[in-house]
Order: sequence, then C-alpha cells, then structure tokens
Amino acid sequence: MSSKMLKFVSTAKAMPDKRSAAARVADFDEIYGDFNASDAETQASRCSQCGVPFCQVNCPLHNNIPDWLMLTAEGRMQEAYELSSQTNNFPEICGRICPQDRLCEGSCVIEKGFQSVTIGAVEKHITETAFAEGWVKPAAPRIERAESVAIIGAGPAGLAAAEMLRHQGYQVHVYDRYDRVGGLLIYGIPGFKLEKSVVERRGKVLADGGVQFHLGVDIGTDISFAALRDKHTAVLIATGVYKARDFSAPGSGLDGVVPALDYLTASNRKSLGDDVAAFDSGALDAAGKDVVVIGGGDTAMDCVRTAIRQNAKSVSCLYRRDRANMPGSQREVQNAEEEGVIFKWLSAPQAFLGDGTVRAVQAQRIHLGQPDATGRQVPEVIEGSSHEMPADMVIKALGFDPEDLPKMFGHDGLDVTRWGTVKIDWDTMMTSEDGVFAAGDIVRGASLVVWGVRDGRDAARAIDNWINAAVAAPKTAGASR
Amino acid sequence: MSKMFDEAAYLARRAANEAKLTDAGVYGPQMEHDACGVGFVAARDGKPNRAVVDAAIEALQAIWHRGAVDADGMTGDGAGIHIEIPRDFFIEHIGRTGHDDDGGRLAVGMVFLPRADLAAQERCRCIVEREILAVGHYIYGWRQVPVDIRALGAKAKATRPEIEQIMFSMPADMDAVAAERELYLVRRRIEKAVLQHMITDFYICSMSSRSIIYKGMFLAEQVTAFFPDLLDPRFISSFAIYHQRYSTNTMPTWRLAQPFRVLAHNGEINTIRGNQNWMSCHEDRMASDLFGADIEDLKPLIASGSSDSAALDAVFELLGHGGRNLPMVKTMMIPEAIDVSGDSPRAKLYAYCNSVMEPWDGPAAIAAYADGWVVAGLDRNGLRPLRYVVTHDGLVIAGSETGMVVVPDTNIAERGRLGPGQMIGVNLAEGRLYKDDELKDALSKRRDWGKWVANAKPMSALLASSSGKPTAPLAPLDLRRRQLMAGWTMEDMELVLQPMAQTGKEAIGSMGDDAPLAVLSDRYRGLHHFFRQNFSQVTNPPIDSLRERHVMSLRTRLGNLGNILDEAPEQCDHLLLDSPVLTVPEWDALCRYLGDKAHVIDCSFDNDGTDQALTDALSRIQAEAEEAVRSGCEHVMLSDRNVSETRAPIPMILATGAVHSYLVRQQLRTFTSVNVASGECLDVHHFAVLIGVGATTVNAYVAEAAIAERHGRGLLAGLELADAVANFVKAVEEGLLKIMSKMGISIIASYRGGYNFEALGLSRSLVAEYFPPMSSRISGLGLKGIASRVIAMHDKAYASDVVHLPVGGFFRFRKSGERHAFDGQMIHAMQHACDTGSFESWKKYSELVNAQGPINLRDLMAFKPAADPIEIDRVESITNIRKRLVSPGISLGALSPEAHETLSIAMNRIGAKSDSGEGGEDPARFSLRENGDNPSSAIKQIASGRFGVTAEYLNNCEEIEIKVAQGAKPGEGGQLPGIKVNSLIARLRHSTPGVTLISPPPHHDIYSIEDLAQLIYDLKQINPDAKVCVKLVASTGIGTIAAGVAKAKADTILVSGHGGGTGASPQSSIKYAGLPWEMGLSEVHQVLSMNDLRNKVVLRTDGGLKTGRDVVMAAMLGADEYGIGTSSLIAMGCIMVRQCHSNTCPVGVCTQRDDLRAKFEGTPEKVVQLFTHLAEEVREILASLGFASLQEVIGRTDLLTQVSRGDAALDDLDLNPILVRADGEGELVSSRDAARTEVPDTLDAQIVVDAKLALENGSKMQLSYNIENTQRAIGTRLSSHIVRRFGMTGLREGHVSVRLRGSAGQSLGAFATQGLRLDVIGDANDYVGKGLSGGMIVVRPSAAVGFVASENTIIGNTVLYGATSGKLFAAGQAGERLCVRNSGATAVVEGSGSNACEYMTGGMVAILGEVGSNFGAGMTGGMAFVYDEAGTFMDRVNPETLTIARLQHPHWQQVLRDLVAEHAAETESLLAARILNQWNKAMPNFWQIVPNEIVPILDMPLTEDDDLSKSA
Repeated sequence: MSSKMLKFVSTAKAMPDKRSAAARVADFDEIYGDFNASDAETQASRCSQCGVPFCQVNCPLHNNIPDWLMLTAEGRMQEAYELSSQTNNFPEICGRICPQDRLCEGSCVIEKGFQSVTIGAVEKHITETAFAEGWVKPAAPRIERAESVAIIGAGPAGLAAAEMLRHQGYQVHVYDRYDRVGGLLIYGIPGFKLEKSVVERRGKVLADGGVQFHLGVDIGTDISFAALRDKHTAVLIATGVYKARDFSAPGSGLDGVVPALDYLTASNRKSLGDDVAAFDSGALDAAGKDVVVIGGGDTAMDCVRTAIRQNAKSVSCLYRRDRANMPGSQREVQNAEEEGVIFKWLSAPQAFLGDGTVRAVQAQRIHLGQPDATGRQVPEVIEGSSHEMPADMVIKALGFDPEDLPKMFGHDGLDVTRWGTVKIDWDTMMTSEDGVFAAGDIVRGASLVVWGVRDGRDAARAIDNWINAAVAAPKTAGASR
Repeated sequence: MSKMFDEAAYLARRAANEAKLTDAGVYGPQMEHDACGVGFVAARDGKPNRAVVDAAIEALQAIWHRGAVDADGMTGDGAGIHIEIPRDFFIEHIGRTGHDDDGGRLAVGMVFLPRADLAAQERCRCIVEREILAVGHYIYGWRQVPVDIRALGAKAKATRPEIEQIMFSMPADMDAVAAERELYLVRRRIEKAVLQHMITDFYICSMSSRSIIYKGMFLAEQVTAFFPDLLDPRFISSFAIYHQRYSTNTMPTWRLAQPFRVLAHNGEINTIRGNQNWMSCHEDRMASDLFGADIEDLKPLIASGSSDSAALDAVFELLGHGGRNLPMVKTMMIPEAIDVSGDSPRAKLYAYCNSVMEPWDGPAAIAAYADGWVVAGLDRNGLRPLRYVVTHDGLVIAGSETGMVVVPDTNIAERGRLGPGQMIGVNLAEGRLYKDDELKDALSKRRDWGKWVANAKPMSALLASSSGKPTAPLAPLDLRRRQLMAGWTMEDMELVLQPMAQTGKEAIGSMGDDAPLAVLSDRYRGLHHFFRQNFSQVTNPPIDSLRERHVMSLRTRLGNLGNILDEAPEQCDHLLLDSPVLTVPEWDALCRYLGDKAHVIDCSFDNDGTDQALTDALSRIQAEAEEAVRSGCEHVMLSDRNVSETRAPIPMILATGAVHSYLVRQQLRTFTSVNVASGECLDVHHFAVLIGVGATTVNAYVAEAAIAERHGRGLLAGLELADAVANFVKAVEEGLLKIMSKMGISIIASYRGGYNFEALGLSRSLVAEYFPPMSSRISGLGLKGIASRVIAMHDKAYASDVVHLPVGGFFRFRKSGERHAFDGQMIHAMQHACDTGSFESWKKYSELVNAQGPINLRDLMAFKPAADPIEIDRVESITNIRKRLVSPGISLGALSPEAHETLSIAMNRIGAKSDSGEGGEDPARFSLRENGDNPSSAIKQIASGRFGVTAEYLNNCEEIEIKVAQGAKPGEGGQLPGIKVNSLIARLRHSTPGVTLISPPPHHDIYSIEDLAQLIYDLKQINPDAKVCVKLVASTGIGTIAAGVAKAKADTILVSGHGGGTGASPQSSIKYAGLPWEMGLSEVHQVLSMNDLRNKVVLRTDGGLKTGRDVVMAAMLGADEYGIGTSSLIAMGCIMVRQCHSNTCPVGVCTQRDDLRAKFEGTPEKVVQLFTHLAEEVREILASLGFASLQEVIGRTDLLTQVSRGDAALDDLDLNPILVRADGEGELVSSRDAARTEVPDTLDAQIVVDAKLALENGSKMQLSYNIENTQRAIGTRLSSHIVRRFGMTGLREGHVSVRLRGSAGQSLGAFATQGLRLDVIGDANDYVGKGLSGGMIVVRPSAAVGFVASENTIIGNTVLYGATSGKLFAAGQAGERLCVRNSGATAVVEGSGSNACEYMTGGMVAILGEVGSNFGAGMTGGMAFVYDEAGTFMDRVNPETLTIARLQHPHWQQVLRDLVAEHAAETESLLAARILNQWNKAMPNFWQIVPNEIVPILDMPLTEDDDLSKSA
C-alpha cells in the first residue's frame, strides 16, 4: 500500500477555492475553482483506503473512489482518469453536481471527526485534467455492428447509454425534442453549478465517437413511435420527467406564478445566447422582483440562486419542513444563504393573492408532528398562523411528474405505472414491448443525474445482451473475437 | 471403570470408527504424530556388560513424563530397548528346543505374530521359516517370549500380538556385515510375502545376528515387568538404545513402538511427504554391487502406513547396508546447517551430501546402532534436547534429559550436550568415543569432496558467459491481456506486486479473510487459490525464518538425480542456483547453456471453445515430456509464453503437476529437472504451489514484465529496473522461506514436490490424477470446470482492444469484485441492532447474512429438524447460552486500551469470557472498578512472544490459553507494527517503544507434543485453579493433534478457522493458510470421540462466526463454546477499514494514537447487546428444531444436511467428510462445568507444606531437598502462592530459599517470583527459569565432581524463555537458545549453545565463555556481555540489529564487574573468580552487545566520547 495515503490524521480537509458570494452572484459562472495538481494530490491522500469503502457502497455508480484517490495522490492522473471513466461516463459532471454530502462524502468513514475526503472536487479535477491533456477520446469501437439503437432523450441516461452502446459498435441514434444535447444538464441546471460549455464538450465527444443526434425531433409528432421501432433494432426511452407538479391552491393561475423548469430553461437559454421572448418580456425574469420559491429540493435551490443572479429585489424560499428534513443538498442551502436567499422553514403556501398578477403569497406556519409509517414527521398546520408575504413572482419547484408517454407517442401498448412512469423489468430494463427499453427519470421518477447515468449504463448492457441473444447469429467458436 | 473392559467390542467399534473416518478423510494412520524420550547407553570400551542394560532400564523409568497415558490410565504409547543378543541366554533356550549349539553365528528374529487368528499365525511362521531356509540357514526353532500382560492397559492388552523369537544359525565364518545385509534382505522378503497374504498384523521388530529389540505398548517403567527376560543377568550388551513414545493418537499400534531396526527417534520429520515422494523416485535409479539383483526385494523401501520415524529408519537402514557407515548416513540424511558454498572441508562434505539426496528435516534427536557404531545426533536446528554424561568407569550415557541415570558426582568425567546438527558416537569395535568434530573431520577426509563438488556450475557463471538475443519484451497490449487472463487486478498490482518490487517485502494487511472459498466464488480464481498451505502445530515447530535464517536454504540443484547408493564424483555434476526463482535473463541464459539438453514444452492449447482441448493438451505435454526425457533430455522447460489470440494457457500449476506426477509414475522424474515459466504466477503463494507440486525452478515472466511496465511509468521511484526485479525476487524468496518455515522445513529440496498443501475445493479425481499424494476431502472443481474458466478468461482478454484490469476486491471490498462476508450494509445493520438493542433489527441483519451467496462451507448446509418445534419459553435462558460465548484473543496493542477493556468488561458482565491476546494486561485491571465492573480478561493468553506474561498475569484469570497457531496466519507469530508500540504498550510488553514486534513462529518451549504437555504442566503449577486451553488452527490431521493435546491434559481445545482476524500479517498468509473451522472442528470432534477423549475436554471454535445460525451449526459440528471476534469489534464501532496495521483506525478501535483513541464510541452495553442478540437467535433456532438446550445438539451432525453442491461447473462438492460421525464410548457429557484435569504433583506439594510459615505470616525460611529429573517445575506452585499472597514484589529477594541436590527436571523455577531463591547443586534440564518473574535461580555443580565446571553443560535448552525479571546464575554452560525472548531477567552463565539472546527485548546477560552460532539474532532490547577468550565470538554473532564493541565506558565496565562478582559469590565459580582476579587482563576479552535501537536511549553512553559530546 502506498505510503502516500491515510493522511487524514495529519492533513485537514480543504475544498477548492469558492468565489465570494458578492462576486459569484454577478454572473452565471461556476462558483468553485479547480484544485491545482498539488492540492488535489494532497486532498486525495487523506483517503483511509478502507477495507469496506462506504463511499463506493453508497455511490449509485459504485465508482472506485478509493482507487482513483490513491492514483491521484500518487500523481498517476491518466490512470486515475481511466479508472474513473470506467464506471462513470460523465465524471466531470457528477463531480460538479452530485450531492456528495448525501452520497460518497456523506458516507466517508473519516467524515466523523476528520471531515470527509473531497471526493467530488477530486473527481472533477481528474476529468478536467484528462480533457486538458487530451486523454478523453471519443468511442472507437473495434468493430462496427449493423444493429442500430434509437435512444429517445439526450439527457444523462440517454447519453450514458449512447456512449456505452457505441463502445460495443452499435449504430446509435439519439432523438431529442430540444435543440441541444444534454436534456436537464443543459436547460435545467444553472450555469453556476454546471457551466454549459462542460455539457457541450461532452456532447461533442459523443458525436465524434459516432453517436448520431437527431435534435428538435418529437417522437409521436415528427416521427411515429412505430416508425422508430421499425428503423432500429432496439429502442431506449430516456425522456426524463418534465411535467411540473402543480399546487392546487387558490390563485395558482395568476400571472407571475410560474413553473420552475420554464423559469430555469429561460435563464439557461438566455445564457447560451438564445432569444427568449418570455424572458425579454419580463415574465420569466426576476429582476427587481420579490421572488418566492416554493419547495425544498435541488430545483428550488437552483431557482432561488438564479433569481438572485437576475437581480431580484428579494428571494425567499418557502418549505414546509425544516432544514434537517429538506430533500435538497445542505451544501446548496448554504451557498444560497451566502448569496442572500431567505429561507422560510416550516412554512407552506395557502393561497396566491393578487388581481390578475400575483402580489403576495399567503402562508401558514407548520409544526412537525409524529413520524408516520415512512418514518418522516408529518407536517401539521399551526392554526391561526396565516400571514402574507409580498411576491411579484412565485416559482413552483415542487417536483416533476412524467408526461403521458403512451399518448404522446401514440402508442398504447407501452405499460405505465400508476404514477405514469414507464414500467420495466429491472433485470432486463425492458418495457412491456419487446425490444423497447427505458431508463432514467421516466422509469424511476425525478431523481439525481447520477442515477440517470447508472440507469443508462444498465440499459446499454441489457440492450447489448438482448441483441446478442435474440438478434445476433448464434455464437460460434472464434467468431466473437 | 467399573464395568469390565470388553475387548471384542472395543476392537470392533474402533475398527468401524477408523474405517468410517478414514473414508471421509478425517483420519488416517499417516496423520499420527509421535515424539518421545530417547537415548543410548554404551560401554566406551565396546565390551558388553550388564551395567549398560541396567542403566538403560533405569533411564526408561525416568522418562515416563515424556510419554503419554491413554484414557484408560494404563496403556502407554509404547517403549522399548535395543541391545546385543545375549548368546548364552539363547543357547540355553536352543537346548530346550532339543538342539545343540552348532557353533554358528546365532541369529534371532523378534516377531509380532497375529494373536487371534491362529491360521494366519501359522502361515506367518511358515513364511519366516521358508525365507530363512531359502538362504540356507539352520533353524533352531521358535521361542514364545514370556510376557506379563498385567503390565498392559486394557487397550494394549486387546491389541497385543503373539510375541515370539525365531532362533537360527548362520555360518560362523560369514562376514558380520554381509550377514546383517543378508538378514536385511531376508526380512524384507518375509515382509513382502506376508503382505501378499493380506496379513497386516505381522511385524518383525528385529532380525539380526548381533542385536535384538524388545518393545511394546506399555509404559516405559513397565518394560521389565512385561519382558522379564530383560531381568536375566545374562542380558549384557555393549550398547543399549531406549525409547519412550508419546503418540497423538490412542490406538495402540504395537509396530510403531520404538526403537526401530537402526534408530530411535524423538521428533518429527516435517519433510516426510517430500522425502517419501523423492525416495520412491530414487528407487528407480538405485543400484549397488552389494545388493545386485536382490535390490528389487527391497522396494518399495517405505511401507505404506509407516510413521515418519519408521520411514526415516528404513532409509537409514538401506544406506547403512548400502555401504555407508552410520555417522555418514546421519550426516547425509540429517545434515547440520552450514553454508555449503563455504571453503571448509566440512562445507564440501555437506555440499556433496546435498547433491546426493534431500535432507530429512524436522526436530530430531536420534539414537542409532548399526555396524558396530552407536550414534546419537540432532537435527540442524537443535530442536530436541540431547544431554550426555561420560563416566569414569567407562559408560557413555546419552538421552533426552540429564539425570535419567543417576551417576554419583565422583564418577562423572564429563557432562555435555549436543548442539544443532551435532552427533556423538562410540565405535564399539575400536572401543573409542568420538565427539562431533572428530567424526566430521574423519568424514571430511574420506574423499576429496572439494574436488567433486567443484564439478557443479553456478548460475552466476552461466549469466556471465551467456550471450545471445534476449527474449523480446511483451508488447503493452499483450501484457495487459496476459494479466487479465491470469485473473490479475489493479489491486494485485498495487497491493501485491508494487510493495514487492519497491521494498523487497510482501505487503502487510489486517483483519481476516472474509471472501468466499475459491470453490464457492463465482469469479475466476487462479488454481493456487485452491491450495491451502500446511503448517506445523504442536507436534513439530515452525522455524523462525526471520531470526534463524541461517538454517534455511533455497539452493537448488538442476540436473538429474543419481544413484543414492553410489559414491562418485559424477553425483555432483549439477547446475547450482541460489534459489528456484529465475528472472527472464537467467531463464534465457539457462536455455542457451543447456542447449539440446533442454526441451521446451508449449503449455498452451487451441481455444476451440470446448472443454476437451485442455484435457488433450495435458496428455500432449505429458507425452512430450516423456518423449524428451527418454530421448536423453535432462531438463524439461514448461512455458505458457506461447498464448495468443487463438491459444489459451494451461494453468501452469496443473501443467507442472501433470508433468511431475506423470514422470514420477513413468519412473523418469529423477532423470530431469522441471522448469516452469508461468504467466499467471505473481505472489509468493503461487511460487510455493508450483515448487510444492514439483517445479525445479520458476520464472514469472509476466510479473517481471509488469514490473518493467510500472518502472517505465515511473512508479518505482529511485530504483533501476534491475533492482526492482531483484526486489521482487527477494520478496518471493523471503516469502518462500516463510512458507517453508511454517511447515518447519528448512531446505527447498525437501519442500519441492512435497505437496505440503491441502486441496480445498478441487475435484478428488483431478487431485488423484495430477497431484497424487495430496488429499482433497470435499472435492470440487475438476478439469471441465477449469477448462471453461480458462476459456472464458481467454475470450475476455481478446474481446476488445481496450483492456482494463478490473479494480479487484479480493483483499478489500469493491462493488465489482469478490463478495465479502461483511459488506457495508451488514456492518451498519449489525451496529444498529447493537446500538438500539432491537432484536427486530438484529433479525434484519441476520437475514442479510443468510441471503448472501455462499462464502463458507456452512453456507451449503441447512438444519434438518429431528422433532417438532417447541415453545421458545422452554429453551434455556439467554444467560446460559451467553456463557458459552467468548470474545477471542485480540491483544492489547492491536486493540486500543479502551476497546480491549470494553470487551473484558462486557464479557465479565454476562459471565462469559474475553481473551487477553498476547500482549499483557495492565495490572491495574486486575482489581474491580468502582462501579463494580471487572476489566480483567477471564482468559489470559500465552503465545510464542511471551509478551507481558508474568506470574501475576497468569494468576489473574480463569483460563490460560496457549496460542499455538492463529487462524489468520497459522505457522507465524503475532505482529505489532512499531508505530503502534507506544510507551504504554512497550511497558506492558517489556519492549522498546517504536520497535516492531514479531513473535517467533514457534513457542521455543513447544517443539514437540511432550513439550506441550510440559508447558501445560507448568501453567497448572503457576495457577492452581485455571483451566488450560490450547488454540489450534484447522488443518488436515488436526484430529490426531487434538488427541495428543487432550492426552497432554489440556482442558479446552480451541479450533480456529482460516477466517480468523489479525492486527497485522502478510497478505498471502491471511489468504492462503489454514482451513475452515467447519473442517477442523468436525475432525477434532470425531477423532476425539473415536479415542474416548471427547468427554475430557471442552471444544471451542472461532473464525468468522456471525449469527445464531453459525453458533448452532458449530455446536452440531461438535463445539461447546463459540468465539465471536470480528463481530464484537464491529459492535464496538469497527467499520472494517482494514488499516489496523497502520495505526490510523478512524473509530479508535485498533489504534494507539491518542487523538484516534478519543474517537472510540464502543460501550460494554453494545457488546453485551451483540451477545444477547446471538443468544436469543440461538434460542429461536433451538426451539424451531425442537431442542431445549445447546448441549443437546452438540455433535449432532445428523441434524445438518447439505442443501447445495455449489456451482454447476463443479465435479462435486461433498460435505460428507464434515458430517461423518464416529461412535463414542458413551453419551457426550459436557466437561464445561467439570473441574480441570489435574496433573501429578511436583516437589512443590511438599515445599508448600514445609513453607507454611513463610506463606502464612511471611517469615523467612530455608528448605532443603534431594531431587530427580522427574521432578519438574520446581518452585512454580510455590510462586503462585507467593504472588497471590504477597504480589510480585511483596517479598525481598531470597526470602524463601530452597536448596536442591541432584538433577532438576524440566522447567526449574518456571515463573518463579521475587522472594523465592532456588539453589541447585547438580544440574538442570531444559526451560530453567521459563517466564521468570523476579525469582532467583542458582545452579552449580557439586564440589565433588572431578571436571572443570565451565567446560561442561549444567543447564539445558531454552533457559529464561520469556523471562520478565529475576536472576539466574549457572556455573557451567547452557544449551541452545539461552535467554530467548528474555525481556527483563539478568543471567550469568559460562558458555552457551546456538541462538543465545535470540529476540531479547530486555534484561542483561553475561556469558563467560564460548557461544554458539547466531548469537543475538533479532535482539532489540537489553544488553549482553560475552567473554571471548577464544576469539570466536565475531563469527558466531548475528550482527543485524546490534552494536558490538569492547567495553569502553567505566560505567558499563563496573556493571559487568559487579555482575561477575555476584556470579562468583552465588556459585563459587572458579572461572568467575579467575576473571575477577585478573580483571584488567580479562576485560579486553569481553564484548558488549547492545541493540542499535536502544543505544540512543541508554542511561549511560557506550563510550566516554559520547559522554563528552553529550555534556558539551
């Protein structure tokens, strides 16, 4: 074992420099700097090299974290990259946006008492180094296979599957209704967490590796689902979930009450230089407004921090549970607070007030009662606690539900669950339709990017197995080589 | 026994049990071990006289304590005596048969005939007569030997043979040597003929015209009672060899009683498997003019079912009759450790011997008689004692102990001992006594050995002269593919290869092996994973390869083996390699040099996707090898280099085994070397397996290429590539030594082809075909399975152009790697259950455990209820069950003080036991805490390092555990990295802070089974209440070992499994040694039951037990008590970081750093909760099976059933050998609550009575006694009384003074405490002052003796082993290993044997005379002074860790002078007086020896210069 490791007993945790709140709210650039090589090595060397690495256990991708930390600490960056990229198609993205405090870093055995290893920052450093050094290479399959796979959706799950299938030599066609590659990565997540150039760079690697993108194509409208199935050996549905979960309170139809994704997309498009009418009209621009964001998840955090950067007059976040019980990342809450967001914990909206356009939110105070069967405490309204909060803009960040896919695709044969997600057999990742697979949020409901990548990889493996078994000629000795 | 012993029933039951257990592979006669007391008496002038016989009989009566008694209390393990034929006596009997003395050469055969089967008996007589008559001799007749069967125990009586003598006459003019040779042939013919008649209970003790052997299954002291012949005054002899046997088993086997025809042996031949295999090879080329065509009558030389001693005797006999004299045979077969590359004539002699045959290695004291010589000799390590006395009236008396024959002081001319490898001999014809040097000088001069051995060519010469194109390096992608194919991972590269190449050492790891057994894994595991290393325990010792390196050698001869009966220069025509590990350049040079003499065999095959290809390939390489050898090739080169996209590799272990075993069968193996270039070979274990299954040399070219590749990437900073490769080779070589040393094997030639492994999970038929002498009890993977796995790996390696090594996960958990018994989820689930006390949570945890894929053998089994479930209320209480649970030995040092105490407190709270481990315990813990908690471990461990083992420590416990082996690393000692030795740990262990502690592999006072009995005896003296437990590790043959341990009066036997944990150990030891406890436990339970010993001991097991299910299964397999180690750590917060050896445990469990200890969150409550949950779960299971207590299911293997036969690709996986049941004598009765098995009283019983006043009111006393060697551990029981009454320092030095006259038995003053003074006038045996704890021992000769005290031996081997304080003064020389592991006592002696001051960590020793070799090996504390008048010291010292200088500082000069003065005052030593008298002249002859580690921390500097520089 390398004598370079286990330095947590003598070296303190250090994150890459974070820009000051004042500086970072002025633009949409990422707030964290990069490690330099020596800091990355030093921080990586803090790893305890556990016999049971809980960081890996609790990573959806089961990244070989202790191993690439060791390689980084020893300055073996290319090997670190090779290893890191073996389990993760987009480590530079996960390194930036994964809620590490809830996954790897939160499980790190030295977290208690020594503070965890800065896994995400090292992961990002490894891949950025790899890009800088030209180690990131497009797929170059040993053989080109005749079979083709259609992937609906250019988000994390679709892209991960696309890359994995290209490595196997399949002809991969990715269809997306938007005009850019990346799905939520490009339009959903704000630039201060994930700069858009990072996503575009990835898109290019895939395209250079032979993944064919068909953008601005709506399945069910521009091409029928049946036609897609005819054209390709297999189909993977990775559309994600886009239907904003609504809040049926009085006044939710008022102008100025907007869904989170519309709001974030407008902002991201604007950053990318697009013309966005709804933004230019002011409808989706928070500038000068009192903004109230409703919800406690990562999307809500993205909204509040975007609003700050759009020069909102004030930004508040309304959440019905308390800080400890919120679903979003604690690190993001901290960042938002630093940037001036006001959190109203234990508060729930009762109604949106206004005449045509919203002017205030009527909110109630909440008490957390006894835990229910799931173990979570039940929010109970405190009688007589109604109060008004001024608001020119209310952003509903309450989560997402699946769209009605069978209807959109015009294909009733696709079984969905009662929540509207596509039903699959988890062992084969296959839907009720033979040769049609599904992965990502459209299967598991709104979740983390890292789960999307995981599902995409699983789906690619499943598709490969299925094609080899069902379509390819029976294997004869030597033929497979 | 009140009821009558039913002989027939006993024999029938025994036979049935033996058959059953033998079938299941649990028992076999070859598994039996024995050891004993041995010796000879000879008339120096070679004239027969009665005094010789009388002395031998007297000696036999004084070694009863070295033998064992069976469960029936009467049946001994055998004893006997070998003497000259008293002609007068037999002539009288011939007269009675109606014959006259015809004046011929009288010959007598002593014969055991079948007793019950009269027809068979008669057939045997006919055969004997026929063969004697066939060579033309005249038969006088048979004599029924008078015996008194009242001297026998019931079992011995039941199995006794008809004992008769055949008397016949040979021509008087026949040459004596030729006559004996002819009788040897006759005897062999008789033996073979009888076997052809399927008669097995026939045996010829001796058939000779010179000597006769009386032996049988009685206790040694009964020899004359059983054989009244021996009392006849006409029985006179010029020599007598005598022997008392201690066998691990209890089936009385008359034929295995000793002496044998040539020798009597005390010890064990560790290399027996290799030796036997090679002997059968040697038979192919054996030829001698002396035997001519008759030589075929001698084969097979070694009868099946022979004991190691019997086999040794057979070869001794052959070589003797083949023309070599007895001293030369001993020199050849049991050589001394010597660097044979040296220039001395003796080195040349041994170099020649080495090139003739492999040494027979292992503890051995032998006494032998042949061809007019009587010889006694020792093995290379001096692992058995041999003392001798030469009397003024012409007797030479040699034996295992001094004092066995009482000789008046005035008659003693010399008291001596044999050192390692030495011998002493009397040439009876010449009437002359030869000492070691004289014998060996004579042998060295016999031939010009130097010229002969100069024929050998060394590797260095080959390399120097070699030129030509080197083998092309592997292309990067090719290299990756080969690595992948071999199943290598990144983990292997980083964790295994890198440290070897970087540091020249194997990596250290920690905690146990919790990955699945190879046969249960669903991943590719190299074939070496299916070979488990064998190791020594109890009956023979491992070697300390770190500190006794000089006795070991990897020298490898390359070339065909000659005729062992020959003596000619051609026998030395060999290539000589320093080691069997070849680098690529060496391999190249070898191939070039050998040219046509070598034949390369391609060990790859066309991957056509079928299983058959591999089978065909094996046949092909066997045929190719045969063809090559028959056409004159002398070297077979097996290589898998030729693998490619189309060709897959044959696993080279399989290829090697196939070729080796095939050539052996074709009787061709001795004509060739078998050299192996293996792409798969990476770690030391793999090398060991290849060599163990027959490879002469091994080249790991892919490993070498991987090093080159890493070097190219700059990963071996500061090293040239050649250095990195050299480091790797060094690490492999050290590792090989370590693996050999575990078996107690010193020489690679004796290890090679010895199959010192247990196959675990290999198909029985595969093993029988390719690895024939190995056993594979549960069967498993066969050729088909191997083929499909190899093909799959080959396919995978060539599936893509981008080849990544998998990340691994074999040593440490990785999601994509091997499964582990503890994963993250389980750890959390278990901790949650222990934190909250929720049994529901525990059930969730145990469901997770049960849902896992199979990891252990028990995972293939399920319960088979025998009755309806009962209400859980009817099952015994949690409290009752918890008492059977133990937290096994984990030392303070490995654990933080907090964790160690928490365990003890928790276990004491529930009335269960915790085990201290080896590392002492703070005496503050021996009293209760204020809140009533008891932090003292109920079990105190005593292990080979004896760290912190004091009289006080041993008196503060309920049980003392002797750790003979540890599951994680059987055959090796404990390790504590220096980084964990802080001042507290160093204080408790009496060692130096910051210095790594690695306990010796052997207990230096347990080299043999009777030694263990002695240690148990000592421990039962020092603590009159505590039971004694012996901790063993599961291995094949553990059943018979356990039987021996039970006979040694242990109360508890602990069977540890391979999965046990460790704080620090080489990775390959954790992974590849030891067997699952399921196998060991079942074997122990069955063999003990068969021998009616099961009810005498408590059986305990540990090694990865996790849940109630495991506990109940362990019960059904035979265990009474259950150790829970890793789980108890996890309950305290351990999260299996597996960095115990790094001192960085983030949860404060396994660390000594203060900041990390502060993180400890374990509590006694959590631990109690763990054991409560376990007990509750046990109750549930018992209720479901319909039982009300654990006791009812113990040993009930019928309640278990195999539910899975493993992977479909396996030939079979058959747990029947584990589930087999032997019938015991009666019901299984738990001895858990029984009183301990008591040992006989020693002199102390009397002393304690006499010292009443001292013990009651502390008054000062002086006592006086006469003693004999059978009185052992004198002063030990008294010390127990003292320490209990007054504490360790409550009495002043010499408060109770005991004066003793005579020869003291073993362990004089063991653990003696301050206040006790033992004054011996006479001499003493081994283990004087063992564990000395403050007492004072003085040994000096009587003033009446006529010899110079300082030139004679006065105390035995292994003196002051593990002493922690106190003083010893001995006016005379000490034996081997003086002060080994001394950590605080002061000693002055007047000379010592080899290995003195070995691994000392404290204390002060002055030796006023010559020392033996390897002085001060591994010494890291304390100080020594040696008076070196002869100027030999610097050749004898092992200076690795030492600063050696003349005494320069007045302070130290004064210290020494005071010490010598004290010695003079205490012993009246003339030598000391002389030195003091001429102090200034003597002083410059002294050396001061100080460990480097403590030089900087001494109170006073070593030189005055330092003094100045310090004060400046």
